[in-house]
Amino acid sequence: MAYENILLARDNGLATITLNAPDRLNAVSRKMIAEIKQCWEELAADTSVRCVLLTGAGRGFCAGADLADPDRAAGAMADSGAALEQFFNPVIRAMRAIPKPVVSAVNGVAAGVGMSFALASDIAIAGKSASFLQAFARIGLLPDGGSTWFLPRLVGDQRARALAMLAPQVTAEQARQWGLIWDVVDDAALMPTAIEIARKLAEGPTLALARIKDALNRSTGNDLAQQLDVERDAQRVLGKTDDFKEGVAAFLAKRKAQFKGK
Amino acid sequence: MEETPVLAALDGGVLTLTLNRPQRLNAMSQPLIAALKEQIARAAGDGAIRAVLLTGTGRGFCAGADLAGTGTGAMGPDGKPDLGAVMETHYNPLIRAIRELPKPVIGAINGVAAGGGANLALSCDIVLAARSARFDQAFVRISLMPDLGGTWFLPHTVGDARARALAMLGTSVPAEEAERMGMVWQVIDDDRLMDEAKKLATKMAAGPTLSYAAIKQAMNRAGTNTLDQQLDLERDSQRALGKSADFKEGVGAFLAKRAATFTGR
Repeated sequence: MAYENILLARDNGLATITLNAPDRLNAVSRKMIAEIKQCWEELAADTSVRCVLLTGAGRGFCAGADLADPDRAAGAMADSGAALEQFFNPVIRAMRAIPKPVVSAVNGVAAGVGMSFALASDIAIAGKSASFLQAFARIGLLPDGGSTWFLPRLVGDQRARALAMLAPQVTAEQARQWGLIWDVVDDAALMPTAIEIARKLAEGPTLALARIKDALNRSTGNDLAQQLDVERDAQRVLGKTDDFKEGVAAFLAKRKAQFKGK
Repeated sequence: MEETPVLAALDGGVLTLTLNRPQRLNAMSQPLIAALKEQIARAAGDGAIRAVLLTGTGRGFCAGADLAGTGTGAMGPDGKPDLGAVMETHYNPLIRAIRELPKPVIGAINGVAAGGGANLALSCDIVLAARSARFDQAFVRISLMPDLGGTWFLPHTVGDARARALAMLGTSVPAEEAERMGMVWQVIDDDRLMDEAKKLATKMAAGPTLSYAAIKQAMNRAGTNTLDQQLDLERDSQRALGKSADFKEGVGAFLAKRAATFTGR
């Protein structure tokens, strides 16, 4: 389908979503979040897609919900709970459930739910000039888009409370040091680096990557005994895949593996 | 002489609670715990109080249970100390009350925080530590395990590997190291600690109190919730906050590019 507020490009198993309201630092309007939701549904169903890259057009990644959106006062967006239930929460659930790696290239400010999008991705890489902001408390809200769950797991309970309550702007470098994101690179190197990583993942052992994602999704709720069972069951399935056979053969022959995602 | 184990002062929406047994490095006696609990209950019930600041007099924050006094409670019928009883009646209700208080609690850790004192410090939402402060899970040195929530706070702030080491080795952690590990939010020079802590508490007392309460509740539950459950919790809390006067003010101020004036409603 055609989108107006985001761009979707497919290239050899790599799908790239670009939030595309650069004049508003890609703030999320009612129309944009509906498209984002639809886009994740489309990509989840598309078996040719083996990795998703998320980024923003222009100098921002995503400034969060668009408070000046003319649609905000009408209908669902007037009720913050309903907006989360119908649009934002399904997007976060889709990002975590999609059985393919999600890479974020954080090219500028990631504020409010925009920061949640970055944290919900499997691998977030930021340009040096990017910044992260849990802006919610500044307007009398609490972090949403899963941030009250992501933050304590990424940076621990103490920093999570401070980031949520005090809403400080966090530099990309600080975010990397704290473990909020995977890596920071020079701004000019951001897209080439992110594409290289996403491309590598798109050509990787997709079923293994999906099981890794699923296992890590479950690890924080599981005790170790349960997690050992999850690993056993997943490994059993992976041991029967073509990519495992290819991986072992390539390892023994000291050549590069050619994974098909099967 | 009758001592006042906790000093309480209310100023500009901030209730400052100062542990006040400096001759014992503010070690926790039963009267001290009772007084703290009473003040936390007061903060919960008084709408004029919108933030709590917890600190200690003298050179220590809190040396833990007063082992030479009433800190370890009474003897059990077997003639041995019943630490479980004193945990249940004194320490645990205090930690629960701090975590459940729907207002931010800021810790200004002015010196050594050892044993239960370390974990009293870690129970605060925002921990500011003097550069000379230390966090010392001393329990193992007297053949105990961390309590007052220590076995929860540690893995949830510094990760499992460090938590196990700190609890088993009883290593004393200097403030700067605690900040690097994420055990505390920020280290501040000793001579500026109280000014900075008061400034922060005053700012938070003029902040979106309902938002802070919702954040506390969400963080309290995040440890055991799945992401799925947590998204539902965020939905419900955000729905309630979306109807608050402070949200209306926050959005209005944002759009008008002025500073918001929150009332806590």
